[in-house]
Amino acid sequence: MLADLFQTTVIVSLLAATVRIATPLLLAAIGELVAERSGVYNMGLEGTMLMGALTAYLAADASGSLWVGVFAALTTGALMSLLFAFLVITLQVEQIVTGLAMNLLGSGLSVYWLRAAFKGQSQIPATPIFDNVPIPFLSELPVIGPVLFDQKALTYLALLSVPAVWWFLYRTRPGLDLRCAGENPRALDIKGLSIAARQYGAVVFGGAMAALGGAFLTVASASRFAPEMTNGRGWLAIVIVIAGMWRPVPILVATLVFSFLDALQLQIQGIGIAIPYQLMLALPYVVAILALAVRRRHAGAPAMLGVSYRRE
Amino acid sequence: MRMLEHLGWRVVRADASPARTAVWVSASLLLAVLLSALLFEAAGASPAAAFAALLKGAFGSWRTASETLVAATPLIFTGLATAVAFRARIWNIGAEGQVFAGAMFAYWCQHGLAGFSPAIQLPVIVLGGLAGGGLYAGLAAILKTRFNVDEVISTVMLNYIIVYALSLLLLQGPWSEPGAFFEQSAKMDPGSLLPLLSGGSRLHAGFLLAVAAAAVVQVIMTRTPVGYEIRAAGSNLRALKVQGTSPARVILMVMMISGALAGLAGVAQVYGVHYRLKAGALTGYGYTGIIVAILGQLKPWGVVAAAIVFGALVTGATFMQVKTGVPSALIYAVEAILLLCYLAGWAAARFRLKRVAHAG
Repeated sequence: MLADLFQTTVIVSLLAATVRIATPLLLAAIGELVAERSGVYNMGLEGTMLMGALTAYLAADASGSLWVGVFAALTTGALMSLLFAFLVITLQVEQIVTGLAMNLLGSGLSVYWLRAAFKGQSQIPATPIFDNVPIPFLSELPVIGPVLFDQKALTYLALLSVPAVWWFLYRTRPGLDLRCAGENPRALDIKGLSIAARQYGAVVFGGAMAALGGAFLTVASASRFAPEMTNGRGWLAIVIVIAGMWRPVPILVATLVFSFLDALQLQIQGIGIAIPYQLMLALPYVVAILALAVRRRHAGAPAMLGVSYRRE
Repeated sequence: MRMLEHLGWRVVRADASPARTAVWVSASLLLAVLLSALLFEAAGASPAAAFAALLKGAFGSWRTASETLVAATPLIFTGLATAVAFRARIWNIGAEGQVFAGAMFAYWCQHGLAGFSPAIQLPVIVLGGLAGGGLYAGLAAILKTRFNVDEVISTVMLNYIIVYALSLLLLQGPWSEPGAFFEQSAKMDPGSLLPLLSGGSRLHAGFLLAVAAAAVVQVIMTRTPVGYEIRAAGSNLRALKVQGTSPARVILMVMMISGALAGLAGVAQVYGVHYRLKAGALTGYGYTGIIVAILGQLKPWGVVAAAIVFGALVTGATFMQVKTGVPSALIYAVEAILLLCYLAGWAAARFRLKRVAHAG
């Protein structure tokens, strides 16, 4: 049975699944990268993703349009992270504690909202999900075609966000200023530029991206919301940013490693190889700890990450 | 901000007096109640009726009041666990997993002792719970001090891992109930159960143990060198180093004390309430414990008080759902709203407007 794993069709479907599964993780991680580069540690990703997944599902169900669902998720993510930003940037509340509070809010509010929206119904309705959008010609290439060019629109968006954010951070003036807010906020302050404005922008962008990742879970794969369906993806996205040393391309690589583990797990279950499924499901979390344990100390972390700036 | 400065005012940050903090925190908790009322409205229930049902369900009779204390018991343990760690500014988010570890280690030690007297089995489950939670938290401490893995991340990962470990042991493993379909252990031996405190209620000895734990933590924090080191780690790590205390040792100690307390929550749930080892008996207490600890101001008796309030929410919510149709899941949203408002109020007390000379 193990030999089945090495057939071309199996490998192609494994890699295509890896790229598909990478989508929510990559969206959340790239968003978190921008927030952390501005100096703000948003640990509320898990709750933001959950709320994104829920609101996308509810809005898509109510409106009949999946894109309305996506828009609802973006709005929810932006609003939640605006609240987070107000607490940690304006009021300077401890970032870790506030992030946890946002997770608890997302977890509690999403379950309550779901129950309240479908009170008394034993089953919640399924929405349609996004179709794949094969790219003409490219999708017909062998191996690469089905893996990279026959995916959903949100997956292309996630992949394109990597070079886009790279270009923004390293090749534009606002990107430089944003990184400066995380490395040397005083320099910005002396120039008369607002640190808070850049951090608000970065955090809201990060929250919207995380919620978009959450939306992918409902309107592009599961077609229903389930409590705690993000299952640690928000936390894995934070791990990926650290393991990727706060740089876009290594973050993409780290995301693909984690999604490959997940895709492999699905494939192995599909073929029926007898490994207890719990071991396979726990693997990403074990790998996350190992990945952090073997990396060099604090490599690449913004100097003022998690520290509120106070004028002397 | 700039507009304010043009008007001749500036926002300054300063330490707040206790009275000022109290005013802001009260106002923010009032805001939390108002926001919760909006959620009741959203579910189509009258907030007044829902609050009344919540209160009646929590304190209406001795039976419901004792249920409130039963629900508060694990939260006292996890709240204390979080308070000890957060006091030292060590972010142990792993009480959730340490609850599992405590219950699992206690079960591992105890399940071969069926038939022995409670005088043997009860100490075994308590020590097993302390050890299981403590060791699992100790793992995160060593990951931090030896391998520089941030404890927030490692404890969250360990929370996910142990859920799968329990599932493996219960479903295919040695702890599964023979012939049963559910993912749970066989029923506990009667000699291992935490004694009930009064007939006609489920209140068990675990509650007394929790109150005793709060007293012990209070003494440790205020009267012993260990407590001094914990408080010092929270405020001035450098001073600790100067006087020759190793931060790594303090981190390990704090994490193990914290985890041991959380482990007792697992013992209380398994041996005091559910009488079986299963994930459903253990889920959620660690995360709620974080809110309990912060609303209890990281102080042992504050934690006990906050845990009882939260226990009342849990107990009252069931009655409220029956009575008004508001889903009981509401309380998890309300808990988070309470925490966020509290954090905002506490921080806002530290800002004030100050008249300044005109900049022009």
